[in-house]
Amino acid sequence: MSIPIKPVFVDEKLREVQESGRLAYRSHALPTWCPGCGYFAIVEGLTHACNAMNLPRDQTAVVSGIGCSSRFPFFVDLYGFHTLHGRALPVATGIKTANDRLTVIAVGGDGDGFAIGGGHIAHAAKRNVDITYLLFDNGIYGLTKGQTSPTSAVGLRTSTSPFDNPERPLNPLLMLLSYGVSWLGQAYAGRPDHLRGMIADAIAHRGFSYLHILSPCVTFDKTSRTYVNLGLQVREIPEGHDPTDLMAAMRLAQDTDQPALGLFYHQKRPTLGDTFDEIAARARAKTAPATD
Amino acid sequence: MTTMSKTDIQIAICGSAGDGTIAAGDILRNAVAAAGYRVIGFDVYPPEIRGFGKCISRLRISTDQSYSLKRHSDVLLSLDDSQALPHAGEVRDMGAVIFESQPIAPCQEGEHMSARVLPGQIPYAFSMRELSQQATGGGRARNLVALGIIAGLLGLTPDPFRAIIARKFGKQGPEIVARSLAGFQAGFDGATRTFKLDDVFFSPPGQADTAQRVIMLSGNAAVARGCLDAELDTFFGYPITPATSIMERLAAELPKHGRRLLQTEDEIAAIAATIGAGYAGARAATATSGPGLALMSEMLGLATITETPCVVFVSQRGGPSTGMPTKTEQSDLNAALYGSPGDACRIVIAPTNVEGCYRCAGKAFEMAERYQTPVIVLLDLYLSNRYETVTLDESDHAFVLDANKPLPRLEPGETYRRYALTEDGVSPRAVPGDAGHMHVITGLEHNELGRPDDSETMHAAMSRKRHDKLQAALRHPEFAVTRRFGATGRVKVGLLAWGSTFGECLEAMFMAQAQNIPCAALKVVMLSPFPVREVASFMDDCDQVLVPEINHEGQFAQLVQGTLARPVTRLSRVPGSPMPVELILNEIRRLAQG
Ligand SMILES: Cc1ncc(C[n+]2csc(CCOP(=O)(O)OP(=O)(O)O)c2C)c(N)n1
Ligand code: SF4
Ligand SMILES: [Mg+2]
Repeated sequence: MSIPIKPVFVDEKLREVQESGRLAYRSHALPTWCPGCGYFAIVEGLTHACNAMNLPRDQTAVVSGIGCSSRFPFFVDLYGFHTLHGRALPVATGIKTANDRLTVIAVGGDGDGFAIGGGHIAHAAKRNVDITYLLFDNGIYGLTKGQTSPTSAVGLRTSTSPFDNPERPLNPLLMLLSYGVSWLGQAYAGRPDHLRGMIADAIAHRGFSYLHILSPCVTFDKTSRTYVNLGLQVREIPEGHDPTDLMAAMRLAQDTDQPALGLFYHQKRPTLGDTFDEIAARARAKTAPATD
Repeated sequence: MTTMSKTDIQIAICGSAGDGTIAAGDILRNAVAAAGYRVIGFDVYPPEIRGFGKCISRLRISTDQSYSLKRHSDVLLSLDDSQALPHAGEVRDMGAVIFESQPIAPCQEGEHMSARVLPGQIPYAFSMRELSQQATGGGRARNLVALGIIAGLLGLTPDPFRAIIARKFGKQGPEIVARSLAGFQAGFDGATRTFKLDDVFFSPPGQADTAQRVIMLSGNAAVARGCLDAELDTFFGYPITPATSIMERLAAELPKHGRRLLQTEDEIAAIAATIGAGYAGARAATATSGPGLALMSEMLGLATITETPCVVFVSQRGGPSTGMPTKTEQSDLNAALYGSPGDACRIVIAPTNVEGCYRCAGKAFEMAERYQTPVIVLLDLYLSNRYETVTLDESDHAFVLDANKPLPRLEPGETYRRYALTEDGVSPRAVPGDAGHMHVITGLEHNELGRPDDSETMHAAMSRKRHDKLQAALRHPEFAVTRRFGATGRVKVGLLAWGSTFGECLEAMFMAQAQNIPCAALKVVMLSPFPVREVASFMDDCDQVLVPEINHEGQFAQLVQGTLARPVTRLSRVPGSPMPVELILNEIRRLAQG
């Protein structure tokens, strides 16, 4: 999170990337995103995290909805499912239910997650399905060329709100906390080093982990969620924040003027897979022939 | 279908919700099935759980399996005259009408069954309430008294009844069992002391039917059993009448085998998770009715384009919209066939009886995996909820579920092609976890690698692949996509039918044959891809083709006409109940004369 003082040379950097091993997680497909889009940092962050965690590529699946953000699976060399607008979470739930051994990562945009797919988040969180959800929040509909989203700021002018957005944005963090999420964090595409660590932590969590990633859409939002504005707004999680304190996390989530970056909350509790196993054990105990 | 020496008796028990009507019907059908008779039964109950809605349990008991209920019952037992009065007329001449001689409240003139029994019908008045009081100290065993009366009057041996009552109430403790048995005995004794005037007699059950191998199942229970025998791994569902009981049964059974069921937040999530599980290599299914199918339509298109196996059981009810949740209809055919945007082809099969529910369930998984496609199994409320004795041959259980093609060995540097264009259109399928075969699947049009590609040539090639591969389903091993019944060769009238209505068609056809009308019936089990050859060659043999179905638009008739460009006569009705056999018979007679 500091401005580099040492100059960076391209050849050195290339060698470093090559030697790190993380390119193995990149696919050959070139990202289709606009130059400068925050999403590049997220794809780099995921490859870093996977590499650092040494995740087996054939045991990892990335599931997305529809949107610029949801193109993500094509750019990593993992198993991937680019599903329908808003439906990454239920598809991911099905995959994890079918095969517990897989690491399942759902990704998508703010419209994908909180507009059309909004009904699914509560249930993924309450079931504590052991997947990671990376939400790319640019406060706009990128793929459809710049319409208002559920997290657009009041007053944002877009093609569908030419008289400025009159609606208050949702507060995703507060929603997730009240849904019973078992791991909640926030990161910013403009802080890639911090972002990659957060992605790794989110994946490492056993249960439903939600990472909210603030990310500028450089093409369709020139006024609100820009690198300049976000760079001035974000702050670190205050020292002394207790991530096991739900009320403290909720208070922190209410500060939307100065979004805090870091781990808001985590909790250990049985996952959906654990409950399936418990139900199976109970069903078998009930039907087992009596032994004497 | 019946000769003098054979049994063919239909009994209707009618009461208000709370009278134990459905429970009595359940015991009766299980008792006669245990005695070795074949049974087909269908209950009608109100949409409200409480209140005073009408409940009727009808069952037809016969030596040979029958295909539908009869229009006329041989016996009507009324547990509540206010509900049963309109049904007095359904009892045939010399049939029995049994009713309460001492109703709990005074009756208006003409509102007691005694005033409605028609000349020719034989009335039996029993004080069921009093018999229950005397035998059990309360009126709650009235439905068991009624069962005893039926058994006693018709000369059925009481032992199977006793066994089933003991089993049914066993969970509630020995006291309840004893009370229930006492109620049954009181009715039985009362009836055997009564002078029998009707001519409803049981002849001994057929020799060939060894009762042990025959089991009683509802359509939905048969579906659940088919799923279990096909080793279903995961089920995702959202409750909706009349599909819910599939999920309820699986919820109890799947965990015993270490398998998983999840109640999702809606039908979109149910089908999404089913497709996710299918993508991950599990055998996955969901079940719903019309409103849920509507919500699933976008996802079904995703399964088509990503070529992901999944099975959807759809039990139809009256529509459109919320429609008539507790009434039967066959009006979701178009939604099942076409209900997704784009050229979203899929397999649609529809069983015609309970045994077919079992087979279609298992076969659906075979097809989904072999052709890598969504498969819809179309049921309806009448088929889901009706009971039949079925013989499940041991060898029937062998569904062939090793359809996945072996994965090709990849050369170093070679990329796995998930959608490789092959001879039969089916590409070897890797699933997450398969080493080295990482790939992305997408709802976007794609090339062989699965990468987005919307070029003209690729879209044409992939569209062809998705459609052509399904044609093989028409020759799927050990699966009759159509089946012809009745006369061979040229006939005056041919019945073309699908789903539950085929049973009524068959009954009507047998009746018409008995009246010397040359006729035949073709049941069409596979609706997509459409068995063009089989249907066309059947129609070649028919002077007239009649298509009876329970919907207003004649959806199947339209399918036939649209596909074959040949005329058919429609018999489309929306009574909310099965098509009356007599209606079909009348049409056959009319067409045969024309
Ligand atoms: C059912 C359906 N409705 C609408 C669309 C069109 N659509 C595609 S992406 C999108 C919004 C994308 O916004 P967001 O989820 O925020 O992702 P971003 O592009 O900003 O990353 C919309 C409305 C669609 N694909 N499917
Ligand atoms: S439109 Fe916006 S969100 Fe989409 S790629 Fe371009 S910058 Fe990124
Ligand atoms: Mg967005």
